[in-house]
Amino acid sequence: MNFADAVRGRKILCCVGSGGVGKTTTAAALALRAAMDGKRTLVLTIDPARRLANSLGLKEMGNEETRIEPSLFAQAGLHPRGEMWAMMLDLKHTWDDLVRRQARSAEQAKAILENQLYQTLSTAMAGSIEYMAMEKVYEVYNSGRFELVVLDTPPTSNALDFLHAADRILDVLDNNAMRIVLGPMLRAGKFGFKLLAAPSGLVLRTLARFTGSDFLRDLAGFMMAFEGMYEGFKERAGKVKALLTSREAAFVLVTSPNPHTTQEALFFHQALHKDGIGTAAVIVNRVQRDPRRHGGPDNLPALKEALQLAQIKDTGSPLLSERLCQTLNEQATLADLDRREVERLHQALRGVPLFSVPRLRKDVHDLAGLWQIDRYLSGED
Amino acid sequence: MSGLLDRRLVVVTGKGGTGKSTLSAAIALASARRGKKTLVCEVVAKERVADFFGRPPSGTQIRELLPNLHSVHVRPREAMREYALMTIKYETLYKIAFENAAARYFLAAAPSLAEIVMLGKVWWHASREMERGRLRWDLVVLDAPATGHGLTFLSVPEVFLRLVQEGPLARDMRGMQSLLADPQRCGVCVVTLPEEMPANEAIELDRALRARNFPDGPLFLNGTFDSRFSPQELLQATRGGPLLAAAGEAADNHEARAQLSAQYEGVLREAVPRPLTRVPYLFERSFGVQAIDRVAHAIEGAL
Repeated sequence: MNFADAVRGRKILCCVGSGGVGKTTTAAALALRAAMDGKRTLVLTIDPARRLANSLGLKEMGNEETRIEPSLFAQAGLHPRGEMWAMMLDLKHTWDDLVRRQARSAEQAKAILENQLYQTLSTAMAGSIEYMAMEKVYEVYNSGRFELVVLDTPPTSNALDFLHAADRILDVLDNNAMRIVLGPMLRAGKFGFKLLAAPSGLVLRTLARFTGSDFLRDLAGFMMAFEGMYEGFKERAGKVKALLTSREAAFVLVTSPNPHTTQEALFFHQALHKDGIGTAAVIVNRVQRDPRRHGGPDNLPALKEALQLAQIKDTGSPLLSERLCQTLNEQATLADLDRREVERLHQALRGVPLFSVPRLRKDVHDLAGLWQIDRYLSGED
Repeated sequence: MSGLLDRRLVVVTGKGGTGKSTLSAAIALASARRGKKTLVCEVVAKERVADFFGRPPSGTQIRELLPNLHSVHVRPREAMREYALMTIKYETLYKIAFENAAARYFLAAAPSLAEIVMLGKVWWHASREMERGRLRWDLVVLDAPATGHGLTFLSVPEVFLRLVQEGPLARDMRGMQSLLADPQRCGVCVVTLPEEMPANEAIELDRALRARNFPDGPLFLNGTFDSRFSPQELLQATRGGPLLAAAGEAADNHEARAQLSAQYEGVLREAVPRPLTRVPYLFERSFGVQAIDRVAHAIEGAL
């Protein structure tokens, strides 16, 4: 099976996995393949370090959809039948757009957007990036402008964080809970809630000793501004989650052959499974190829003989033969370890198509490099 | 500026997968060998350092891994409890205030409260915890979360103090902020790899750290390869016919990685005004104490 078969018919691909395994590169490679095959494709990346921008030669991406210049493809000798677009998630913009969309009036939106606590909460809260990434995918998907959307997810420590990020944040925004905690600070009045100056009640006073009462007042103020919007947010987040867990979307696990990352990949797989989501494919990046596949001598006496036969002087310190032998052994060791790890993953993920991408001689940082990855994924190389 | 190991708190940051835990363990090992009572604090979801030393996970209780070398896994829930009890003193009151459904909501809403209490615990170990009339730890090594999140983590006191200026938590946040800004007591290291994306992230991380005035620690370039073959040797080996195909490919791969190491070392030396230390690639996957020891030797000069 090649990769395209494993995700045939899906309109959203979520690349998930731990940090440093090449998720961004993989996501871009998947988008490139789809564009080559004639699809209008968008890769959505989340990234303060602008990884994708680097890899695609883009200077600025912002929250805007940017088409990868056809000339860049031509330079790489590629002639896509479709289009490849890229977008970098702008966390604050996405939040602000969502607030504007869900607010009942322009005044309400303004009150929230100007609230100091909102500005901190929206960008600093754990899970905020995950939530907004899903929100953006939903929005882009619904716009109907793309036939495939590839999401490069943030390096979340686990799958639960990703899938349940929205729930956790919405819990915070739940006004019912707000009434319980902050109740003693609020008084229901004719025009909604009114803020009292000082915290009262045992729970609130104890919490105030911990955080100071300023914070509680800010929080109550924010909650008042947010009044009535919670249901709308909740409903939309429900739709987002429903889309990502439907057959329209596929989750692609990306990992490296490092035991720690494969362990996390398995954990991810299990967490998805618990939510009733199947893993569509696993991609193992940077697998060391075994130089011994060429056969030939791999021990010192035999290498010395081979050098002699090839009329290469065995000189230097340590001797060339010794250095060659050490280097060969090191890489054979790595190849063995990687093979064992890939095999272990294969056993644990029975039935999930697994694709290995060998460690490449050079960093992948352009379309030509991405295309090389695609060729491994399609079994052409 | 004092040597890295003469400070109270060493923070190890970098992109995910660059070897932060390995470097944290190696720094701690070097410190313990110098007779300093050393504690490694791990704040990410899964702890790893105890395993490097062949020990079961420490969990939230401090455990000795080797003489002078201890580790602890800092988790938000337990840190919150410990921290709140230090402030509130009465267990019953803590339970009423913190262990109810409504308070859970509140705790989730407070900006980065999990990070605050975790950092608070690290700060407490580094500058408050006493034993027989002196500070219990000579050095605390913080294995910080990956880049973006790591920066958020270290900026928590600043963010919090923008919102809240009074109360015990704000007072402690000021203490943390001053520790994190003091080059005599604290050093923030960056770990990276000789690959494009990690190198770029290290450059951005370095800039962000300096812009926020965190005291500079060394830059560790992890997983480097040294060139082993002259260009002529490489040419001969790769064209040595079928008998040398395997050895030739291995040599070629090795030199490609050595070249990448040199290339990114150059880029990083140019862009990052911190002393750079190369940490050689280790050809083993189950990192035992021997591997950590080799890393500790490699970085000795930077400490």
